[in-house]
Amino acid sequence: MAIKPKRNQPTTARRTRNTKFQADLAPAEDRALRALKEDLQLRSNTDFLADAVALFRWAASERKLGHRIISETPGGERKVLVFPRLERVAPEANLPRIEIAWTKSELASLAELVSSAEPQPPTEALVRAVRD
Amino acid sequence: MAVIIRRLEESDETGNFDCGDAPLNNYLNKHAWVNQEKSSIGVTYVAVEEAALRRVLGYFTIAMSSVPREAFPKKYVRGLPSYDLPLMLLARLGVDLRFAGKGIGHALISEAFRISLRVSGEVGCRCVITDAYRDRMSWYARYGFIPIEGAAAEGPQRMFLDIRTIRKALQSQL
Repeated sequence: MAIKPKRNQPTTARRTRNTKFQADLAPAEDRALRALKEDLQLRSNTDFLADAVALFRWAASERKLGHRIISETPGGERKVLVFPRLERVAPEANLPRIEIAWTKSELASLAELVSSAEPQPPTEALVRAVRD
Repeated sequence: MAVIIRRLEESDETGNFDCGDAPLNNYLNKHAWVNQEKSSIGVTYVAVEEAALRRVLGYFTIAMSSVPREAFPKKYVRGLPSYDLPLMLLARLGVDLRFAGKGIGHALISEAFRISLRVSGEVGCRCVITDAYRDRMSWYARYGFIPIEGAAAEGPQRMFLDIRTIRKALQSQL
């Protein structure tokens, strides 16, 4: 004799629901998305999103480990991907920490410099340095 | 001469690097890679020529550090934020003598400033500190580094550059 489940009792094999995802895109972003879909031969937005999530997930996991993401030309020139959102998951911006020895008078001088209300104006060389 | 600045890689040619200072040569040749990848003590950025991507023309090494709030003399503590003071240490900077006068030092320190701005935006950084050789102090002063008083009369001079000054420099180009 078969036992029928009660009407409100959850069945073990209940189907998982897919989440709907809707995005508002500016015309330029929409054009970029369509062009990318064409380049990548992706037919639906669902496929596009699934692949984009997979790629982003991989990139985030690499940066979490402190690994850099690099593109390399056939000639060996390398470019490091710096993507602000990915840098948020990178450990300490990949810069290690060290201890510095300070004398008491150096600390007093540093404190004075740091607590000044107005910073020193930039020199011409500094302006050129950040502009170059 | 097109120069690229990037992180030091294991296969970079550092053996022939000569900036005229034995400790700086020795650091690049023997310790920079290990300190960067294994010990995580400092990250080294190298300048290489586009035509010879492995030959190092110049380098700098940076690391993050902080000064505990309680380390400051009491009379100054009130004026400071209630936290340790985060800073970036420009630990080493050198250019091969054969490529001196070609603007490589300027390109290297420019990259260090860009990193300091990025770090200050990402994790917080109040200033850039460097221990400059006495005969190189005027070069750092040109970029706005100020000597920190109280150092020993001999040996390197510790110098300070406010991150707000670097930000202002960025704005003044607009």
